[in-house]
Amino acid sequence: MFNISVLYDAGVVGLRIVMPLLAIIIVYQCYAAMRRRRRPEKPLVSLYNPRSGGMIPVVFWENSIGRSKSSDIVINDLSVSRNHCVLLRRSAGWFVSDVGSMSGTFVNGVRVNGRAQVLIDDIIKVGSTEYQLKRGNDFNSPLRSDKFFSKVSDKPAIQAWKLMFMITMFHLFMAVEAMFWNDGGNVYSPMILFGALAATEWIFFSVSYFALRRVNFELEALGLFLTGIGVMMLVRQAERSAYVQLAAAGIGIVLYCLIIKFIEDPDRSDKIRLPMMIVSVLMLASSIVLGRVTNGAANWVYIGSISFQPSEFVKTIFIFVGAGALDKLQTKRNLIEFIIYSVVCVGLLALMSDFGTALIFFVTFLLVAFMRSGDIKTVLLPVGAVAGTFGLLSFLAERINFIGDRFNYVLNRFKAYRHVWDYANEAAGYQQVRVLTYIASGGLFGVGIGNGYFKQYFASESDLVFALVAEEMGVIVAIVTALAVAMLMIYARAITTRSRSTFYSISACCAAGLLVVQLSLNIFGATDILPLTGVTFPFVSCGGSSLISCWGLLAFIKAADERTYSIKR
Amino acid sequence: MKRTLRRSTLILLFTIAFIVGIGFFSVELVLGARDWVDQPYNAHISGNGGLEQAGKIMDRNGAPLAETVDGERLYNEDETVRRALLHTVGDNSLNISTAVQSKYRSNLIGYSLIWGLNMPQSLRTSRDITLTVDAPTCAAAYNMLSTGFDEPKRGACVVYNYKTGDVICSVSTPSYDPANPPQIDENNESEYEGVYLDNVMSSALTPGSIFKIVTAAAAIENIPDIYSRSWYCEGTEIIGGHEVHCYNETAHGEIGIKEAMEHSCNIVFAKLAVELGADKMNAQAEKMGINASFKIDDVGTAKGHYQAPGNDENVLGWTGVGQGVGAYEDKVNPMQMAMLCAAVANEGKAVNPTYIQSGTGDVLKDIGITRNQSHDLIDPNTALQLNDILPAYNIGGLTVHAKTGTAEVGDEKRPNAWFVGYSTDSDCPLAFACVVQDAGLGSEYAMPVAEAALETAAQRLRGKM
Repeated sequence: MFNISVLYDAGVVGLRIVMPLLAIIIVYQCYAAMRRRRRPEKPLVSLYNPRSGGMIPVVFWENSIGRSKSSDIVINDLSVSRNHCVLLRRSAGWFVSDVGSMSGTFVNGVRVNGRAQVLIDDIIKVGSTEYQLKRGNDFNSPLRSDKFFSKVSDKPAIQAWKLMFMITMFHLFMAVEAMFWNDGGNVYSPMILFGALAATEWIFFSVSYFALRRVNFELEALGLFLTGIGVMMLVRQAERSAYVQLAAAGIGIVLYCLIIKFIEDPDRSDKIRLPMMIVSVLMLASSIVLGRVTNGAANWVYIGSISFQPSEFVKTIFIFVGAGALDKLQTKRNLIEFIIYSVVCVGLLALMSDFGTALIFFVTFLLVAFMRSGDIKTVLLPVGAVAGTFGLLSFLAERINFIGDRFNYVLNRFKAYRHVWDYANEAAGYQQVRVLTYIASGGLFGVGIGNGYFKQYFASESDLVFALVAEEMGVIVAIVTALAVAMLMIYARAITTRSRSTFYSISACCAAGLLVVQLSLNIFGATDILPLTGVTFPFVSCGGSSLISCWGLLAFIKAADERTYSIKR
Repeated sequence: MKRTLRRSTLILLFTIAFIVGIGFFSVELVLGARDWVDQPYNAHISGNGGLEQAGKIMDRNGAPLAETVDGERLYNEDETVRRALLHTVGDNSLNISTAVQSKYRSNLIGYSLIWGLNMPQSLRTSRDITLTVDAPTCAAAYNMLSTGFDEPKRGACVVYNYKTGDVICSVSTPSYDPANPPQIDENNESEYEGVYLDNVMSSALTPGSIFKIVTAAAAIENIPDIYSRSWYCEGTEIIGGHEVHCYNETAHGEIGIKEAMEHSCNIVFAKLAVELGADKMNAQAEKMGINASFKIDDVGTAKGHYQAPGNDENVLGWTGVGQGVGAYEDKVNPMQMAMLCAAVANEGKAVNPTYIQSGTGDVLKDIGITRNQSHDLIDPNTALQLNDILPAYNIGGLTVHAKTGTAEVGDEKRPNAWFVGYSTDSDCPLAFACVVQDAGLGSEYAMPVAEAALETAAQRLRGKM
C-alpha cells in the first residue's frame, strides 16, 4: 500500500533528523573556531637579571610579582613582599605599580608611587633584586602551550561566513518546519520572519567583518544561533512577540558593541564604579516604586507601552562593578564596598519577590568575591548567612502573614520537590509534570515547530522554554542549546590568562558563570532536578530585557579575548 | 593572572555540575519517558489522539476487544462484551484513567523516546496488547449485574487465577458502550454517576461479614483454645453498653467458631474482636493489607480502611464484623478482597494480579522478573485453618470456599451484598470477589454474579466452551 504521502512524510522526518545534526556541527564549529587563531606562544617582554644573567619571560598583560608561590613572577628574595608589585601593559606601554610592598619598587632608582611607566632597558628594582626590561624576542626558549589551544594556527577552523551560512540554514529549516504547521494558518509568515532574522544576522556580520574589521565572529555567531532559535520558536506561538524579540536582539547587539567599546580601557571601571553602583541601585529601587506586580514578582517597569525588567540590566552592571585590574585588586583588597552593594541588590530583588534573580545575583556575588579574594571563606560565610536567613524566613512564614504571603510560593515548591507527580494538578507541581510530559512527547527529534501543545501553557516561551524547544525540535537540540551556553564558561576560563587585564578575565568568567547558573536554574527548575523556577534561558527565552542583558554579558566574554582589541583583519 | 585562572576553577565546577545535571536528567528521561507521556492532560494522546493508528487489544484467547480498521477504532462486535470490558479496555477518551487504552496509549500508538509522539501517520508503528481477561466470562458477570435483578445494579466482580495472577474476569457497573459513548449532561448524570470509576480497582466499600475472615484470622493466631470454645447467640446482645445484633436478629443458639462463620454470627465475632482488643485487630488488618494499596500493572488499588477504637467496646465489636461507624468505619476494595482470598487459598501468599499477558513493552515483565510477585498476607498455618472454617460451596463444577457479606450502609440504601472466596480445584485455581451495591443479602445478590462468572470461567479454562 504505497502512498505518495509516505514520501512527503519521510521528507518531514528527514528534516527533523537533519536539524539536531546541524545544531551539533554548528556548536562544535563555534568552539573549534574559538580554540584557534591566537597569537603564538611568545613572551610579550622579558626581565633580565644582570647579576645572575637569568631571563624571565613575561607572558601576561598583567603580572603579579612577589615572593608568594602563586605570583605570576616569583622572586625568592626575603626583602620582597609576598605581593610586591604588578607589571602591566596598557596601550601606552608598560607600567609597574607597587601594591603596598614593605621595601618599595623603584624604576631607574625612583620609588614608584601609583603606576610608573617602564621603557625597554629601564631598571626595575624589587626589594634587593634588579631587573632590566627587555623585548620579548630576547627570550629564546620555547614555551609550553595550553591544552585548549593546542592547535595554534593562523588559519581559522572554519571561515566565519561558512559558520554564518550554517546558522542561517538552521534558522531556514526552522522556518520550513513551521510552514508545515498542522493547524494551517498563514503558510508564509515563518518565511517573512526568517527573512528579517537572516537580515539582522548578516548585517551584524558585515558590520563586524568590514566596518570593525574583527578577525573572529564565533562568539557572536553562537549568540545569533541561540537568539535565532528563540525568535523562530515564537512564530507559531505568538508571532508578534517574535518581532519584538528580534527587535530586542537588535538592541542587544548594539549594546554588545557599545560595551566592548566602553570597556576598551580596563581602568575605566575604577573611575566610574561608584556612579554605576548608584545607577543600578536606583534602577532596582525604581521597579519597587514604579513596578507592577506581574506573576507574583514586582520586577517590571512600564513606561508608556514599553515594559522592561531593570534587574536584567543591572546584571551587566553588577559584573562590571565587580571586576577590576590586577594592581587595583591587590592594593584595595577588602570587599566591603562590593559586599554592601551586593547585599543592597539582593535585598531589593527579594523585596520584589524575584527570588530567582536574587539567587542568580547571590551566586554571581560569590563568584566575583572568590575571584577577587581567592579566599574560600568569602564563599562559605555568605552561603551560611543566606541559608540561615532562609531558615528564619520559613520559620517566620508560618507565623507572620506579611512574610508568609511572599514566601509560601517558594516553600510550596520545596514541598513538591522530587514528588511533582503527586502534585500534578496543584500549583506546586503543575508546571514541572507538564514540562516532563512534553519533553518526553517530543522524542529525540521533536514533533515539528508549531505542532507542539506545550506552547499553550503559561510561561512556556520564557521560564519553561527548554520544554518548548525539546517538544518541537527534540531533546537533542534542547540539550545542544544548553551545552552551547554552558561551554561559554570553558571558553572564558581558557582565555583567562590571555586577557588584557584581570578586569576582563574576572568579568568574563563571572558573566559566563552567571549565564551557567541562570541556565541551570531554568532547566533544572523546570524539570524538578532543582526546587526553583522563575528565570529565563539565556538567549532563547522570550523576553526583551533578558535577551538584551545576555548580549551585554556576552560582550564581557568577547572583551576578554585579546584579539578583540589588538588584532585587526 | 595565574591566580585568576586558579580561582576560576570554582566557576568551572558550576559548569561541570551543570553537565552532570544534564546527564542525570537524560537518565531520568530514558527511564521515565513512557510514564511521563501517558498523562491525561497530554494533548498529543487525549481526545481521539493517535488511536486512528493504534494497535489491537485482545483477550486471552485472541478475541479482538479493540482494533483500528481504516483509521477508525472498533470495539468487540458483542455489545455485552464491550460494556463488560469498558473499564478494563477503555474507550477513545482518557476518561477512564485506569483502563489499558489510557494507561498504555503511548504504547498502543507506537510511542518511542526516539520518535516522540508526532511521527507522521504513514510512518508509525503500533503495538498490540494481549490481556489476560476472558471476554465471555466478563460478559456473563456483566449480564447478571445488569439484567439479573429487578433493576441494573452497581457493583463489581473480579476473578483471578491465584497461581499465575491472570485476571480472568473484571467487570464494573454502571458501564456504557465504548462504541457509542453517552453524552453525560444534567439530565442523566445520576444514572452515570461514577461511570468512569473502575469499581474493581478504585472503590472502597463497607465489607460487612466478609471482614470476619480477618477477625477469624486474628482469633486463630491469638486465642489458643479457639476450636474448643462455644458461644450462645440470642440474636442480639449488649456489648460495650450498646446492642450488637445478627442479621434480622436471628438467634443462632450455642455455636463454635466454624458454625459462627457458616451462619455469619455477628455476636460471636463482635465478642472475639472485643476479646482480642483494638491493638491486635489493627495489627491483623494491617498485616492482611486492608489499609494498603496494591500496585496492579502500574495502578494502585483503592486503599481499604480498618481502624479499631481503643476505648469503645461496642464500636470495636462492630468493626470486627465489618460494620464500624464514623471514623472507625470499615472499607475494603474488591480487588484487595480477591487477593486476600487468594492468600487463604495459596498458603498465605497472594500472587499479584495482572491484566496484561503481553505487549506493553515492559521488558522486566516479558522476561518474567516482575511476573508472579506475591504478597505475604497471612501466616501459612492460619491460611490452612481459615480454609477449614470457611463455608464450602459447589459452583459450576468447582469446589469453592467463600464468605457472604451483607453490609449495612445507611442513607436509606439497601445493603452491599458481597461474596468473596476461591476454588480449591488445581486445574482452576480461582480467587474472586463480587459486590453488588444497594442490594440485600450476599447470598441473593452477590452469589449469583459470582456463580455466573465462575461457571463460565471454569468451562472456558477447562476447554468445554
